[in-house]
Amino acid sequence: MQTAFTLLIFPGLGFIVLCAWLFDWLDRRIIARFQGRVGPPWYQPVADFIKLLAKEDILSTGINPALSTALPVLSLASVLTVSLYIPVARTAPVSFEGDLIVVLFLLSIPALAYFLAGWISGGVYGILGANRSLLQYFSYEVPFLMALSGPAILGNSWRIAQIAQQQVGTTWNLALQPLGFILAVVGLIGKLKRDPLDIPKAKSEVVGGSLTEYSGRKLALWHLAMDMQTVLGIFLLINLFLGGTSASPLWGGLGFVLKALGIVLLLSTASVLYARLRIDQLANLGWRVLAPLALMQLAATIWMGG
Amino acid sequence: MKSDKMIIPIGPQHPLLKEPIAFTLTVEGERVMEAGMRMGYVHRGIERLAQERSYVQTIHLVERVCGICSHVHATTYCQGVEALLGLEIPPRAQYLRALLCELERIHSHLLWLGVLGKNLGLDTIFMYAWRDREIVLDIMEDLSGGRVSHAINVIGGVRSDVDEAHCDEILRQLDLLTEPLARLVGLVEHERTLKARTQNVGHLSLEQIRRYCVVGPVARASGLDVDLRRDMPKAPYTDLSFKVITHTAGDVWARTLVRMQEAVESVRLCREILAQLPDGPISVKAKRRVPPGEVVSRAEAPRGELIYYIRSDGSEKPARLKIRTPTLTTLITLPEQLREVNMADVPAVLSGVDLCIACADR
Repeated sequence: MQTAFTLLIFPGLGFIVLCAWLFDWLDRRIIARFQGRVGPPWYQPVADFIKLLAKEDILSTGINPALSTALPVLSLASVLTVSLYIPVARTAPVSFEGDLIVVLFLLSIPALAYFLAGWISGGVYGILGANRSLLQYFSYEVPFLMALSGPAILGNSWRIAQIAQQQVGTTWNLALQPLGFILAVVGLIGKLKRDPLDIPKAKSEVVGGSLTEYSGRKLALWHLAMDMQTVLGIFLLINLFLGGTSASPLWGGLGFVLKALGIVLLLSTASVLYARLRIDQLANLGWRVLAPLALMQLAATIWMGG
Repeated sequence: MKSDKMIIPIGPQHPLLKEPIAFTLTVEGERVMEAGMRMGYVHRGIERLAQERSYVQTIHLVERVCGICSHVHATTYCQGVEALLGLEIPPRAQYLRALLCELERIHSHLLWLGVLGKNLGLDTIFMYAWRDREIVLDIMEDLSGGRVSHAINVIGGVRSDVDEAHCDEILRQLDLLTEPLARLVGLVEHERTLKARTQNVGHLSLEQIRRYCVVGPVARASGLDVDLRRDMPKAPYTDLSFKVITHTAGDVWARTLVRMQEAVESVRLCREILAQLPDGPISVKAKRRVPPGEVVSRAEAPRGELIYYIRSDGSEKPARLKIRTPTLTTLITLPEQLREVNMADVPAVLSGVDLCIACADR
């Protein structure tokens, strides 16, 4: 019973899905306010989801139906598995030494599934989007991983719960590794394919990118997986950089929510402020700027920690 | 993947395009090797239709050539017919026509900036530009009753007048526009990601501009100093002072800057027109039958020089009407501009020239 509650309600499926919709709505609402618009009502993400569920599921010819169904399910499953390892309000259902590495691995499965989805789609936009998503993956992933390993090295542990725990009562890793945090946020934007790094799905260039040929329920699953990835990415950053859940009962929950909202605000602001980069500009940014910076941060961390 | 060539269709339906036109890009990796173009999806046979209608009815027809610069089409057409009739229209009518032309220029340039922003993934610019454009649309609606199709031109003048209070109201609204416009110009000048995406993209040299006879802001952004408002002295522009904006870079960024500074200049022109608005009638009576002859009428539309050729055989209907829209001159440069560009720069290139397919296809 307890296990079922953990898996399905909190902090499992139900909670994460609710957060996914809530954050999606907040994001759209914040962006709208920045742009002088009103933005959608709170139930819009849910309505979008239901609408997509009800729509016809079109398969283009030549696509392997089993694979095209498996890919969104696979990314959803891997994202959901991640939710088991990330402590929310102090409780992570499963936690062991090294779970950070498992989480990082699981979080890159959706990126690969996204690539495959475009590659098998047979459409030119899909293939182009797939190529781009892989190029983008290589650009952000290395700085992202290096940035996230900073707190682990500092905390001398690869267990997310423990890294979070160590910050409670003392300084946050944000103060110790401000650069690492910024790099992690940039990496997260790249991972989530959000503006301004929405290169693989840039509408004016490649229509819908990898997901051009997807529709109906499968597309709904893709969107849900992406939104849930946003939530978990944010939770991961909170645990690694923003002190996780604080000890006092009131601040524990409330503080966590506030931190999450802060990061949502950060992501929304970035998408409002910048134009989409070109893929070669991103590769340049990733390898010439972000990766050296991440290395510097890592070196500084090791020096500090040592 | 290296040697794999892919044919990527952009259009006739594509999120990038606001109107139907088809480009076929041969792409190697992310590089466009060759670009083909096909147009004619919104051909409505307007030139032929004009031969079936009287001169007066044709005003409403040509106003529907374009959904953005409808007024300048009607103005150019009326100018031509008036020249055939040997009519001199009252100064007040000339000023009112020019006022709407300038408002239309601001509206067109703002609309275009929004589309560029949208295509480059900078939705904020899109939202800002289109929000600020509403002010211009409001002014135009107050002036003529229509936001897009104004139907204010008649042969021999204009249809509706403004009074003192109305002028003040327009001036007040223009004041509202000044600050947002300055902000947008600043954005174009300083926003780094926007510059990264538009500088050195879609470059046209002065020599290419001359070869293709490109007109309008695209030509001016490459350093060709052409503007019919100044080059073809005609009231009221002879009495007004304005700067022709040029730039030498010749890329999409320069075009953006030229258009935005032109919009600022147009706001100033609107003020000047209202300040100098002469008294008198707003139209003179015109005969229904037009004496035989032919005329070429030209005007500076938001996208450049617009040419109308009208031939009359002495009846109530034009014997031939030929429209050369400025878009046509920029359209033919596109296959060359698209060659050897990054696939991701295609939106910038296509947006940069400010296509009006409806104009080009007619």
